[in-house]
Amino acid sequence: MPSQPALPPLLAPYLSSLPHTSLTLVSSILGATSNWLVLRFLHAALSTSSNQHAASELEDVRTDEKRKVVFVSFMRSFEFWKSEAKRLGLDLARLADKEQFAFIDGLSDLFYTPQVSSSSASAASPAGRGNSTPRTTLPLRSQPGPLPGRSLQSPAIASGGSGLAPRSQTELGVAKKLHFSGRGTAALDALESDIVSVMQQLKPSAEDGDELLLIVDQPDLLLATTGPSLGIGATEMAEWVAGLQQHAHATILTMAADSPLIHNVSVSRAGGHMPAPIETEHAGFAIGLAHRARSVMQLRTLETGVARDVSGVLRISAGGGWIAGKDENPEKEVLYYIQRDGGVRVFGRGES
Amino acid sequence: MSFRKRNIGLSLGVDRAAIPTASEKPAPESPGIRPSPDDGRPTTSTGTPSLDGLLAGHAGLPMGKTLLVEENGTTDFAGALLRYYAAEGVVQEHKVHVVGVPEQWGRSLPGLIGTAESVEGKRSDKRKDERMKIAWRYERLGEFGAGVAGSRNVPAAGNQDPAAPQAPAFCHAFDLTKRLAHPSITNMSFVPLAPSKESPFISVLNRLQTEIASSASHTIHRIVIPSLLNPTMYPPDTCQPEHLLQFLHSLKALMNAYTTRVTTMITLPLALFPRSSGLVRWMELLSDGVIELCPFPHSADALTTSGAATSQEEPPQGMLKVHRLPVLHERGGGSDQNLGQDWAFILSRRRFEIKPFSLPPAEGDTEAQDASAPSGMPKKSDLEF
Amino acid sequence: MAQINLAHRRTHNLLLISKLLSLRDTASPLTLLLDSLQQPATPLIREYIRRAKLSKVHVTLVAFETLKQPDGVDAFVSARRKSPADLVREVGAAQQLAGSNSSRRRLILIDSINPLLNSKRLEPGFHLPSFLSLFLASPSASATAQLDTSLVVTYHQDSRGPFPQHPYSPSPLSLLTYMATSIITLHSFSHILAQKAARDRSVAEPVFGLDEEQDGVLLGRPDNTVEGIVLELEHRRKSGRGVLEWYLLPPTSRYSPQQVKEVVTLLDDNVLYNPPVQQDSAAGDEEPESTFELRLTERQRRDREGVVLPYFDAQQGNGPGEGGRILYDMGEEDDFDEEEDEI
Repeated sequence: MPSQPALPPLLAPYLSSLPHTSLTLVSSILGATSNWLVLRFLHAALSTSSNQHAASELEDVRTDEKRKVVFVSFMRSFEFWKSEAKRLGLDLARLADKEQFAFIDGLSDLFYTPQVSSSSASAASPAGRGNSTPRTTLPLRSQPGPLPGRSLQSPAIASGGSGLAPRSQTELGVAKKLHFSGRGTAALDALESDIVSVMQQLKPSAEDGDELLLIVDQPDLLLATTGPSLGIGATEMAEWVAGLQQHAHATILTMAADSPLIHNVSVSRAGGHMPAPIETEHAGFAIGLAHRARSVMQLRTLETGVARDVSGVLRISAGGGWIAGKDENPEKEVLYYIQRDGGVRVFGRGES
Repeated sequence: MSFRKRNIGLSLGVDRAAIPTASEKPAPESPGIRPSPDDGRPTTSTGTPSLDGLLAGHAGLPMGKTLLVEENGTTDFAGALLRYYAAEGVVQEHKVHVVGVPEQWGRSLPGLIGTAESVEGKRSDKRKDERMKIAWRYERLGEFGAGVAGSRNVPAAGNQDPAAPQAPAFCHAFDLTKRLAHPSITNMSFVPLAPSKESPFISVLNRLQTEIASSASHTIHRIVIPSLLNPTMYPPDTCQPEHLLQFLHSLKALMNAYTTRVTTMITLPLALFPRSSGLVRWMELLSDGVIELCPFPHSADALTTSGAATSQEEPPQGMLKVHRLPVLHERGGGSDQNLGQDWAFILSRRRFEIKPFSLPPAEGDTEAQDASAPSGMPKKSDLEF
Repeated sequence: MAQINLAHRRTHNLLLISKLLSLRDTASPLTLLLDSLQQPATPLIREYIRRAKLSKVHVTLVAFETLKQPDGVDAFVSARRKSPADLVREVGAAQQLAGSNSSRRRLILIDSINPLLNSKRLEPGFHLPSFLSLFLASPSASATAQLDTSLVVTYHQDSRGPFPQHPYSPSPLSLLTYMATSIITLHSFSHILAQKAARDRSVAEPVFGLDEEQDGVLLGRPDNTVEGIVLELEHRRKSGRGVLEWYLLPPTSRYSPQQVKEVVTLLDDNVLYNPPVQQDSAAGDEEPESTFELRLTERQRRDREGVVLPYFDAQQGNGPGEGGRILYDMGEEDDFDEEEDEI
């Protein structure tokens, strides 16, 4: 298979030049995940500056505007993103060193901090949330110093002497690890201030005209794992996103749009039983964001079954926040195919 | 009773597996780990060769990944898959953690027959006349093309000569009617659910975390979660999303922290938690691989007779649907050759086999069925274009 | 008759929508915009703001969704993390600020009421009707009681919230539709056309976006062919009579922002929706429809009309047997046979 350009030409206009305060929503389903598209967004924002020594002579038009990216991922480790970005020629760790990129880990310590005494710590925090705000506990956890889990393990590495424990590598380049504690908007506020602080760290070094792009990978996980019983619903999540948006030039969100999470809101659809809060809140969150988004990129599998050379369908639609007349109509539907080497081929129906 | 004989060879196999840890061999050759033929990442066997072959060309379950096996109805085919997975871990001397069930579960693991290759080899001997021989080295490897590629890194085993030095086997064959007797079976750890004011899963996570963190760095772990959320074992509040999904998320985090050392397999009864619910969808989204078993309702009698070895194809006992595959879907999903297939599964005493599903001839038309047995019906996949 | 009806409807209903959108005479204190992802209300809200600017109406936007202040909005109140009481207070303050200098007409836009209705922090005592009426009741009652305030509330129909805590009280949507003086439901013109085309052919109407109930689909398939928004207006007059009409709002690119003339038309007047009936005689182009020439020339038709049919003659009462003859003046093209034909 021929190697593909990192940015498929058909998609390039949608991946770069995102207008100020715009929100782009990327929806995915179980069989058609959005990681490849997120990587393309990363590449569109970061590649020119990262490949300066390689390819900037040709397109130095774009090098004057440096873009920075803060990337929050709730479902995948930095390890994954790093290795996948490498396939596209992006060195995320190096970009993090150059303060062009910051990764915020929403996976490792979000609900459970791997430390021996963590059971007592996590048991104590909700009880004492009245007098101790999460903000005071959070910086303790997110300090870049040696983590308890790591220090526990390092003697094991030394004794075993094998290369099987790469945990020491993963901490590099991670700007912050999020930890959820407490409930309701207070807990969300703590997460928000954590993310915003990282965004602020990138900002001061930014010259004028720099664009700070915020990518949040699957914030819906936060909603699913907390839910109304912890005082968090669609509105609170949407407000949380709005709070983050205020600090970024443009925001990209990914979100699950599987049928059970979107269409179960009516009783008839949910098979006769009352829709569960996880379903109504998710639908409310996703649809509410689509109303705010400038464009919605929807990934799904082929409805006709699986084809050899098609991974899925990408439908790009104008969301509720798209302003008519200001920019051209973004609507489009294309097929895509992920090759074994990580390259993506994007083509229209009937083309190949 | 040929497997009896192999059962004697069993101890040999065990010793083989134990060699790398005992001697001063470099640790990357951990028992039961081999690099994926697709991209070289370490993989381990699920204990079911045909399931290994289904996993997007990796010929095994990639380390650090979770496989969710869902089952419709009230049968327990998924439990069989899970037992193979656990038994494979025991035989490979992996550390097997079983969540939520009492220790009796460990005593029901299937007995070891030999390496999967040897059993497969025997099968193919039997079928030699029926099959076209393409190349001698492909024959041992079963039906799956992916498995073929996977053999690259495994030197030819040559089971006929047990005295020769051999590479450790990747996958073993088990007999469901026997009980596994293996020195390291006592090494299994059973993690109970502790009732707590908070999430009942907290204690499970604590235990898994400590055990994995405190183990030697070359120890491979398998986390086995049978029949998750089954109300006979799990308290009612475990199906609250804030408990369950936080647990699965933390488990995912744990697996990512020890990404080359842990795999997880979970089974879920769909009869109680249907796929159309948002909760189950989130469980699937948090898993790396999702496989659904749909047993045929009439397969009960077939189950009892299929133990007898017949030359005819055994009737499938259900359909198997692949909803998500590890690594492949993480990258964006797509068009694995195995994905669009209709799969059927057959559980016999000695193996859980997954193969392409072909529509059986119309019922009652047994004569035509017998007559056309060699050629068979054209497979559905052949008709599709 | 139908023509006269349409003309009548046109004058009246166009005047009505003009009055409503331009907020004249406080025709509607509470307007409810029902939108969906298929046709968001954003363009209509912009149209409201455009007209308000033209007629110097003070515009306040209560932003549950909007992040930055759009052009033409005088007061921007971000509703993020604010209680309903705070919102009313802030809007009141914004009004007060503008109270002295600007005109007496006010427009308060709520860009989406759904987040408020679905909020988990909403106190149980929250009462939607009184919340909305607090906006309408002029906060600066002391200064000028003359303020004309119009409230325009957007409700996303597809963003259904959790189930109400009071199962016996009406849902927020039915409350809103009951209270509103006018309700504008928004539809995408291209979808309306597609549905009409299906209706005309008696096939099932197509569904779009969320209604497709397809995995991974939030918005309908792309359609760039026709632009425009269909407004389905339900207006309750003060007299109690209701008006129902469908309108078409063209895309903003079709008219200048300063245009004062009404841009909204009746949907029935649109040529795409209601194509003009084919008038076959008027169409001058004579395309052969079959190999036979079936049509008559002008002269042939005149001749045919000139033929007096037998029963005309018979009715004249010249006695039985007298009438019934065909009276015919032969033309040159008639091939008269002396032996066979008789006159």
